[in-house]
Amino acid sequence: MRKIADFILCFIVLVLLVWQLPWLINFLRTPDSNNTFALYSSLADDFICNQFVGEDKKLHRYGTDGREYSTAETDSLLPCFFMRQLVADGRFPDSIHGRAVTPHEVLQTNISIRLNPRDINGNNIALYPLIESMPKRVDLEWPDDMFRITDTGIEFIKMETNEVKTQKSRLFTEALQEKGFSFPALWVSGNPSVRKAYDEGYLILDAQHRLFHLKRCAGRPFVHEFPIPEGVILTHVFAIEPAARQFRGLAVDTENRLYVLTSDYRIALTGVESFQPVTDRLMILGNMFDWTVSVLDDYAIHHYALDATDYHLIRRLDRTLSDSSLPGLHFTSGDDRFCYPRF
Amino acid sequence: MESVISCQHLTHYYGKRKIYEDLSFEVPQGRILGLLGKNGTGKTTTINILSGYLKPRSGVCRIFGQDIQTMDPSLRRRIGLLIEGHVQYQFMNIEQIEKFYARFYPNQWRRDAYYELMSKLKVAPKQMISRMSCGQRSQVALGLILAQNPDLLVLDDFSIGLDPGYRRLFVDYLREFVKAENKTVFLTSHIIQDMERLVDDCIIMDYGRILTQQPLQQILQTLHRYSATVPEGYEPQLSDAELYHPAAIRKHFEVYSFLPPDEVKQRLMKAGVPMQGELNSESLNLEDAFIGLTGKY
Amino acid sequence: MYYKEWIKTRWYLLLMFLSTSGFAGYCLLRLHRVIALKGIGHVWEIMLTHDVVFVDYLKYVPLVAGLLLAVVQFAPEMYHKCLKLTLHLPVSHLTVITQMLGFGVAIVLVCDILNFIILWSYMHQVLAYELWSRCLLTALPWYLAGLAAYLLAAWTILEPDWRRRVFNLLVSLLVIKIYFISDAPASYNGFLPYLSVFTLALLPLNWISIARFKEGKE
Repeated sequence: MRKIADFILCFIVLVLLVWQLPWLINFLRTPDSNNTFALYSSLADDFICNQFVGEDKKLHRYGTDGREYSTAETDSLLPCFFMRQLVADGRFPDSIHGRAVTPHEVLQTNISIRLNPRDINGNNIALYPLIESMPKRVDLEWPDDMFRITDTGIEFIKMETNEVKTQKSRLFTEALQEKGFSFPALWVSGNPSVRKAYDEGYLILDAQHRLFHLKRCAGRPFVHEFPIPEGVILTHVFAIEPAARQFRGLAVDTENRLYVLTSDYRIALTGVESFQPVTDRLMILGNMFDWTVSVLDDYAIHHYALDATDYHLIRRLDRTLSDSSLPGLHFTSGDDRFCYPRF
Repeated sequence: MESVISCQHLTHYYGKRKIYEDLSFEVPQGRILGLLGKNGTGKTTTINILSGYLKPRSGVCRIFGQDIQTMDPSLRRRIGLLIEGHVQYQFMNIEQIEKFYARFYPNQWRRDAYYELMSKLKVAPKQMISRMSCGQRSQVALGLILAQNPDLLVLDDFSIGLDPGYRRLFVDYLREFVKAENKTVFLTSHIIQDMERLVDDCIIMDYGRILTQQPLQQILQTLHRYSATVPEGYEPQLSDAELYHPAAIRKHFEVYSFLPPDEVKQRLMKAGVPMQGELNSESLNLEDAFIGLTGKY
Repeated sequence: MYYKEWIKTRWYLLLMFLSTSGFAGYCLLRLHRVIALKGIGHVWEIMLTHDVVFVDYLKYVPLVAGLLLAVVQFAPEMYHKCLKLTLHLPVSHLTVITQMLGFGVAIVLVCDILNFIILWSYMHQVLAYELWSRCLLTALPWYLAGLAAYLLAAWTILEPDWRRRVFNLLVSLLVIKIYFISDAPASYNGFLPYLSVFTLALLPLNWISIARFKEGKE
């Protein structure tokens, strides 16, 4: 018994050391970050990088050719991004690339999307409110029920009584089945909030990796299937509701290819080489002409400039990251909301 | 006679400090053995080793023939232990503690012996031990040992914290019980008068070793204090191991020895002690004998 | 043996059962107030969108309860080395310590189960399975921490050498930290079975303290 106890104590002490020592060393060392922020400027046809460099950690802006830009130059080269500054300065142009633009139009079409692995790697609650997409009044309203998708159908639970609404559940289950939906769902994505301009319900991957759009219109189910190209197996879908309704969301397949789900129910392949939603961070800053897609993985940050109409690749910039932190035992990670030991 | 306790070649250190080396002794069945020694000579160490709460650096202690460190738990039924300060579970009262212990000693528990002693205490049956005086606690501890009716009793400094009345009560009760039932006792105390009333045999310890192990009566009969007059300023320089602690204060010289007067006189003269007049010899009580053997300092 | 543990701890047990149940009840009362003020829909909404679990007040309650149980149970044993009396009983030392700790572990578990029953009995009425299970799973590592705190505190209290006690305390603190690393609700789910086994594996540590006590380490 003494030997077992001693062994357990040694094991515990070892675990604690492997956990706490590297943490302490990493904590005491100041991390050097070469995490650049880059935006594609179609006017310069180049990425404009922002980085804090030098002893004074001053913000520098420069092109991929190394050319430095002043603040005013950067504003002009990224007119959509710095629209408010340009308007305030009275420098906002009448047209960009020969197209007449107004600040309101820019504001409407600018998009900003951030996907963090933390958001999907977690024990998220598989209950979803289905907001009425065509409310009688202007504002969206929180429903009196929430749905879950079971092995056999969709169930609406009335919150007041904590009981299943059988009639509504049957109605929606039948609507989904009619369109060929096979239960259970692999993936459900929506934006359960009433503080948004409009509601487009949920994007749902069914058991066969088929992609469906479900929303509630005047209390009735609306179901539409996205035709998926041959050979593409979608694994993750992200419902997005941009102000100008240019698209419905993003999707990723088994090959880590990124797709845009268009408003006319097409699946458009983008020029992004690889995005793994489970491990990578994604940021999209876009305007009516182009998108800058930044994918941050463990080793590098990849910036892709995409055309805003057909999402083809215009330019690409890769920066490797220097990770000098000491390996050790961790229980948590910035990439998820789980707690378990890992190296 | 069969030995109940047998300790062989005990050596123990606390860190680098040597307590004793190669200590051996035996306690025969039916005897009351008192361990005497000045503070720091290893009395408590020995008791701790004997009760199994100290592992000596080397050597082995056997009780009823079994190594203490690996003793069969059921053998502890036959050993009564009184720990320093008569400590018993503070959170129990007289009835609870009896009820608790009784379950561990089926067929041997003598409930009446316990309650007989408790009836003499002026405490309510529900009074917590933590709220008793040290004297009352000692009676509870003694009562529990008497009820347990063990063959061997190990008592660590039973006189600590007791006023003379309770000490006397404790000693008398214990002696009567032990002698009537032919029990064996190993005890320590720093109050030597108590020992004199109680023990059959004595082990007197000095730093690192046993000075002597003898029956009490033998010590009292054979150890003498010898004194004589010497010239003032004489500093005794004796190296005889059988003459204990020779000392001179002004003109008064004294030395302790188990040897008969003639032998002592001869040895002293041989060593050149300038005795003036006769060598006086005195019999001693145990306390004087203890001081004579271990020295005043 | 259980009789002795019972006498030592009975008053504390009453306090422990009442106070932990009280805290659980308080959490439910808060939930009930929110329902009364803003409606059940609001509760579901904030649980879904703001990670609210309504059991946060319980976070350190089992920890403190377990810790105090160990103190109440083992501090009297170390008072004037009373443990010597316990180990002198004619029972094997392994049995003695297993029974003492078994008593404590059983108490902690009964108390935990009672708490969970209290929480569940109200929550399952007003919340969907997904929601109440999330609340309980969020609280589960905290309750395991209570068990761990009990075992580690016992290990530290029974240790005879004060320097080693400081070491035990340090190890205990870091081990307890494992149960509180993540604030995200239900984040321990996959780790819980292993964490439970790990928690029970802390039990034999007490044998080290007992063995050291017998060797006379001070």
